[in-house]
Amino acid sequence: MNALVSDAWGRRALLALLVLVVLAPVFGWASGAVGYAEPLENAAEATGATDAADPIAPGLLPDYAVPGLAGPLGTLASAAVGTALTLAVALGAGRLLER
Amino acid sequence: MHIPDGFLDPWVAGLFWVGSGVAIGLAVRRARDALGDERTPLLGVVAAGIFAAQMLNWPIPGGTSAHFVGGAFAGILLGPSLGVLAMTAVVTIQALVFGDGGIIALGGNLFAMAVVDVLVGYAAFRALRGVHETGAAFVAGWGAITVSALAVGVGVGLSSAFAYELGVTVPIMVAGHALLGLIEGAITAAVYGFLANARPDLVLGRFESDSPSPEVGL
Repeated sequence: MNALVSDAWGRRALLALLVLVVLAPVFGWASGAVGYAEPLENAAEATGATDAADPIAPGLLPDYAVPGLAGPLGTLASAAVGTALTLAVALGAGRLLER
Repeated sequence: MHIPDGFLDPWVAGLFWVGSGVAIGLAVRRARDALGDERTPLLGVVAAGIFAAQMLNWPIPGGTSAHFVGGAFAGILLGPSLGVLAMTAVVTIQALVFGDGGIIALGGNLFAMAVVDVLVGYAAFRALRGVHETGAAFVAGWGAITVSALAVGVGVGLSSAFAYELGVTVPIMVAGHALLGLIEGAITAAVYGFLANARPDLVLGRFESDSPSPEVGL
């Protein structure tokens, strides 16, 4: 993490991450406006599999939403938490594997 | 692209776990040599950037939307071993924290997005970069996501929930993602083009061997 903050390109990379996080609610709203379906959902519908989806664990922040936070705010918080967590996990795993 | 629990028959989910487990295990072993003070921050930033980029659903008129998956991009930028690790972090966090993709189905989602997408993208880029570098990045992003969709289409098509209708699931997955993959290819090529221009030392997948280039700093 220090290597990122102390380096000009590292700071630029962190800024780019921040921009992506801020864009998440905007895209979430736009894709909601056109209706959201992926090919896998279409394939499930075509074969009658849609109802077979049976989540074992919904996760801490299901569907990138935060309980109690209105839609776009929840998306923003989810994007921030998820991006920071991914950075921490990937950095941590990388450090552990270094030799 | 993310498979929820309940879609895959147990033996299909199990095979996906074996396949992704072997590939990720190999990636971990090979990554030990590649990681270091310069390379590890890059792994973190690329993984985090792909997580954030996957949240951006590009709306497409007509009622569909696609998001960048990024496996091919990770493979090109980080090389195959670190690329697999970066995508493994992304896909696992999506499943465990956000319920995006199932827990039993995580093996399948890792196989499609953290293994096939990364390795096919990397191989396609390496095969074609002599012809045209940015073009190779486009084809890698587009082709790899289409092959990943094929893997998912076969997996669900072999499962009872989808009535074993391989003839339905494979065409829908492959055709759907071949079309949406044009966006994947375009983003892969655009970001690759920018980085290869601004910081060519960062683009690890360009080097002939997977041994670390001598001077890489973020």
